[in-house]
Amino acid sequence: MKSKHMLIWVLSILTVFGILITACGAPATTEAPAQTEAPEMTEAPVMTEAPAATEAPATEATGKEFEGVTVNLLTFVGPQVAEPLQRRGPDFTELTGATINVITVPNSELYQKALTDMATGTNAYDAFLFAPSWIVDFAPAGYIEDLTPRIEADPAIEWDDVAPFFRDFNSYDGKVYSIPLDGDMHMVYYRIDSLEEAGLEPPKTWDDYLNVAKTLNGKDLNGDGEPDYGSCISKAPAQQSYWWIWSIAAPFIQTQGSSQGAFFNTEDMTPLVNNAAFKRALEIYKETGQYGPPDETNQGVGDSRGLFISGRCALTIDWGDIGPLAIDPENSKVIDKVGAIITPGSKEVLDRETGELVPCDETTCPYAVDGVNYAPYASFGGWAGAINAAADEKVKDAAYAFLSYMAQPAQSMADVVVGKTGYNPYRISHFEDTQAWIDAGFSQEAAENYLGGIEASLNSPNMVADLRIPSNQKYIQVELDRILAEYIAGNLTTDEAAQQLYDAWEAITEEVGRESQLTSYKATLGAK
Amino acid sequence: MNLKRKLNANAQSPTQIGLGPVPPVDAINPESQEGEPSRLHTVIAAAERRAAPIFLLPAVLALLFLSVFPLVASLYVSLARFKIAKGGFTLTFVGFNNYKKLLLGSEQTHFLGAFAPATFATWLVFGMVVVALAIFLAKYLLKAEVSVGGLIGRLLLALGLGRLAWVFTHTLWNGGRLGTVTVTLVYVFVGIFLQYILGLVLAMLTVQNLPGRRFFRVVFLLPMMITPVGIAYMFRMLTDTSKGPFTPIWQAMGLTNFSWVNNAWGARTAILIADIWQWTPFMFIVLVAALESQPMEPLEAATVDGANQWQMFRYITWPAILPVSMTLILIRLIEAFKIIDLPNVMTNGGPGTATQSLTYHAFINWRALDVGGSAAVAYMLLFLVTFFSMIFVNLIRQQSIEKL
Amino acid sequence: MVKRWFQSKSYNTPSPVGKILSYLVLSFWALLILFPLYWLIVTSFKISSQVAEGPFYIPFVDFQPHLDAWKYILVGDLSNDTLRTFRNTVIVAPSSALLALLLGSTAAYALMRFEYRPRVGAILTFIGCVGLSIVAIYLGAPWQVAVAVAFAVFFLLLLTIGRRFQRALGNDDIAFWMISQRMLPPIAVVIPIYILFQRLHLLDTYTALIITYVTSNLPIVIWLMRDYISTIPIELEECAAIDGASRYRIFWSVVLPLAIPGLVATFLFVLVFTWNEYLLALFLSSANSQTLPVVIAAQNATRGPQWWNMSVLILIMIVPVIVIAMVLERYITRGLLIGAVKG
Repeated sequence: MKSKHMLIWVLSILTVFGILITACGAPATTEAPAQTEAPEMTEAPVMTEAPAATEAPATEATGKEFEGVTVNLLTFVGPQVAEPLQRRGPDFTELTGATINVITVPNSELYQKALTDMATGTNAYDAFLFAPSWIVDFAPAGYIEDLTPRIEADPAIEWDDVAPFFRDFNSYDGKVYSIPLDGDMHMVYYRIDSLEEAGLEPPKTWDDYLNVAKTLNGKDLNGDGEPDYGSCISKAPAQQSYWWIWSIAAPFIQTQGSSQGAFFNTEDMTPLVNNAAFKRALEIYKETGQYGPPDETNQGVGDSRGLFISGRCALTIDWGDIGPLAIDPENSKVIDKVGAIITPGSKEVLDRETGELVPCDETTCPYAVDGVNYAPYASFGGWAGAINAAADEKVKDAAYAFLSYMAQPAQSMADVVVGKTGYNPYRISHFEDTQAWIDAGFSQEAAENYLGGIEASLNSPNMVADLRIPSNQKYIQVELDRILAEYIAGNLTTDEAAQQLYDAWEAITEEVGRESQLTSYKATLGAK
Repeated sequence: MNLKRKLNANAQSPTQIGLGPVPPVDAINPESQEGEPSRLHTVIAAAERRAAPIFLLPAVLALLFLSVFPLVASLYVSLARFKIAKGGFTLTFVGFNNYKKLLLGSEQTHFLGAFAPATFATWLVFGMVVVALAIFLAKYLLKAEVSVGGLIGRLLLALGLGRLAWVFTHTLWNGGRLGTVTVTLVYVFVGIFLQYILGLVLAMLTVQNLPGRRFFRVVFLLPMMITPVGIAYMFRMLTDTSKGPFTPIWQAMGLTNFSWVNNAWGARTAILIADIWQWTPFMFIVLVAALESQPMEPLEAATVDGANQWQMFRYITWPAILPVSMTLILIRLIEAFKIIDLPNVMTNGGPGTATQSLTYHAFINWRALDVGGSAAVAYMLLFLVTFFSMIFVNLIRQQSIEKL
Repeated sequence: MVKRWFQSKSYNTPSPVGKILSYLVLSFWALLILFPLYWLIVTSFKISSQVAEGPFYIPFVDFQPHLDAWKYILVGDLSNDTLRTFRNTVIVAPSSALLALLLGSTAAYALMRFEYRPRVGAILTFIGCVGLSIVAIYLGAPWQVAVAVAFAVFFLLLLTIGRRFQRALGNDDIAFWMISQRMLPPIAVVIPIYILFQRLHLLDTYTALIITYVTSNLPIVIWLMRDYISTIPIELEECAAIDGASRYRIFWSVVLPLAIPGLVATFLFVLVFTWNEYLLALFLSSANSQTLPVVIAAQNATRGPQWWNMSVLILIMIVPVIVIAMVLERYITRGLLIGAVKG
């Protein structure tokens, strides 16, 4: 009996203890939560696992102008993207006195957290590091701050050094709403050694890509005796599948430059998917699966990236991350064997009147290179920092100063050369300064190859911007993703898939309002 | 509270108010009303009389606090369209649009499944179900006491089950595809059936006087303790046929170029395996506690009388754990309908939409800011769960009535 | 001699053959459980290339173990997040579980020993008033006023109209209502609950999480405890009542001690549920009260799932719960009812 009484006593004490703690928990945190958390953040040990980079201090603010100000910055759990923020936070505090409180949540929930916070008026976060494609939702509603005046008053950020494409992408309706810290677009990566051995050229068109993949599929590419794969493109639903398809479809559909757009017809907002071009893209996409790992339909980009880095793929398509990852001595088996090229183009393009494919010539493909129309797809756009319009002026100033500090050439150069940071090049100076890359561990050839690929993509006048109209998640992440998944699983024929996608997109356009969607779409295409 | 006390104070007359039974139909001590003259005793007596509401009220209030607003709010949201707007967001009332889309409109293939032309097997199975339901209804009508409420209830039951059987049989074969409703039902019923059997077998084995049984008990508890997201990732690792631990076995079977992720039923099986692994401990521990709480006398007496293990189980143990089992299955039923982490992490709902559960369906809509559509799916899930729970609860009630 | 292999010494001790069979089955299942955990442990000592290149089973034999993941989680970049969220989980989960147990077992006892007759009239009136208050809020009234007015109207109506409708529901209906609170998937109620706590200025506090967890787990506690309490013979309570014990004392000194196996099992469940809960924790918490499951889910980074980090986190999460389970497991044993009634 005694032990039972003991147990009951212990339980009761614990209960009371629990209640006391919650009672104490409440008042402490109903005051500005940031204040109580701040001291802990600045005591965080400074993690410098990145190679020691020379950091030029911010050449702007004078002394501790933001003493006592705390900025709550929301982003997703690192190390990618969050780690540089956490690392440079204390440095920034040294310079200006402001405390940067980095709050992290899982990547998949970042959008919802940011949205709920601002839409319900909670405004617990002062700044966000998120995807610039989201500003199309947040800017018209007035959630995020227009940064144009601040940028114009800030020479240190060297805004003109940011590649024009990324400047546009972080703007909406002519105003800048976010500051890029990372540049994203797709490129195709290939194994220089494997292709040379087989006497193949890096693919220029998607047919070339399939050819290379077919030839090298089943060969042993990493010397372990096991057959490897020709092409690794991850196809799991709800992952990145709905981006890869556009890298394939874009060169077929867009030829007249970025303002022509690749998703919708700019006259009547009908989707450009129920035509020979998109169907051909679907077929190509499906065919790449034949030359890849058997569980490709359940893989995300992390898996396919891992496969490529361990030498098991001849080709892959990815954002800029593979460059720095490939030279990682610990994890990479393909050091100095990786080449990067602009995503393959097409020799046949869509005639928007007839819906059929026509061969490339001067009128149909004015930007063609050697008869091939390229249309690199700037999917996702790259992580950028935005500021909550509802925050205090002083806090907003401090937040802007921090974002500017992070984006300035000195800091950003140091960050983009390290794969772990998740930041990819977005400034012209990033890929002009080959030396910085070589210092980071690239060989001369690898650096030139990688940077060359990026430069070619960024300089292309026919770059395709990501879809940024309202409800873009419904178009892409719900409908396209589902139909694509069903198509890859073999449940739909190509024609059925194209037709269903057309109908689904039309339904959404009708629901939201054709006119307003058309206006938004045209605004995002021509926004300068 | 004061108002209630005053009203309850004149509690001799049958003025029933809300939850307070007056006078308390007390199972133990019907005489507990008599108070004694001193003030302290009056207070104590009053507290004693009020024992009934005092015991129940905190729980009820807590539940009411957090259930009313969310329930009503999400119901309204399911009848509206969500849009971000200046200064916050807007909810535009659209009536049953969201529901119509699910049942009849663009989401029908996703929700109910892709219907295929009927085959012989379809008619056979559906026919059997119809016959069973008809017998069920007939039995009820032929009984002496038939009430309107009972009849309506049973008709609804027959209609509901019939409709589900229709959907199921038409989407299962011949090129049809199961929708999220039917996939969820598969997860729930197959999963619970296997979990219960396994849990019971394991519980009975560990209740025996075996040295080392405590070790087994603690080990068997482990899966339940891992966070569901963690289990999902763990099984994703385990079932990876190119990097996971079973790769050599997979390759030895000559299946190197084949992956279960590409096959609808293969993927569903993988999820079922993970689900069973995760939740059998739940059944296990409750049943162990129940088995341990059995009084020993009947069992000892039965042994003396020469009964064998099976007879002891069937006539003594089984009736004793039946009530707990019913509760257990009901709780697990309600939880199982909400399965989300496993399909989300292990297969992303693939191949195609083959492993998507209802909550996953709601989740994708929610992520894409179609909050109204998401709430509509959630409410359909609610109706489905309520439907099955009521069937189940009535089954329990029938059982206990027959016992008396 | 062979026959003796099949004979059991007592009803609860299996025969030798029975023992062997039992051990076989139990060991098989234990293997099924332990192997994935072993794989987790092994993965936590790997780095990215070792995972990508195919299965390696035994450290030092198959592959060279690295402490990278452990360092990263416990002392490296993520350690702040890990330790803070661990502390939060340790505070929130057991207290919610205990509170839920307390409220739930009293309610379960009440449902088993008292007979309630909530009248349909009262319930409908309540719903009507809730509807009224919602309409009022929608039309612009401040919510405090609307709720207060609704309450007043409710009580008034209760005394007048409510009395007319005598049809009543029973205990089982109350219980069913309670369990029906668990039917709606959390995704549907996350935003309303978020808004509710936002209005109460309780976002990102332990209080919000504890309240939410207590109310969401109450139905389970009540349903499970109902069954356990029903196995306690009522004669014991009658004896105590005759001896002059009050209802509360009976509950505390007679019923609860006897229901300990059930209490412990239920406590373990609720502890596990609240320890591992993800979605509500994600939304109701921000910097201060984030719990561990959120950090685990976050390891699915943009560059793909970081299996090694995840394994470490999962392992860290299980350890305290296992310890508690091991300590409490002894209470789920028989023997507390021996001689209680007949003696």
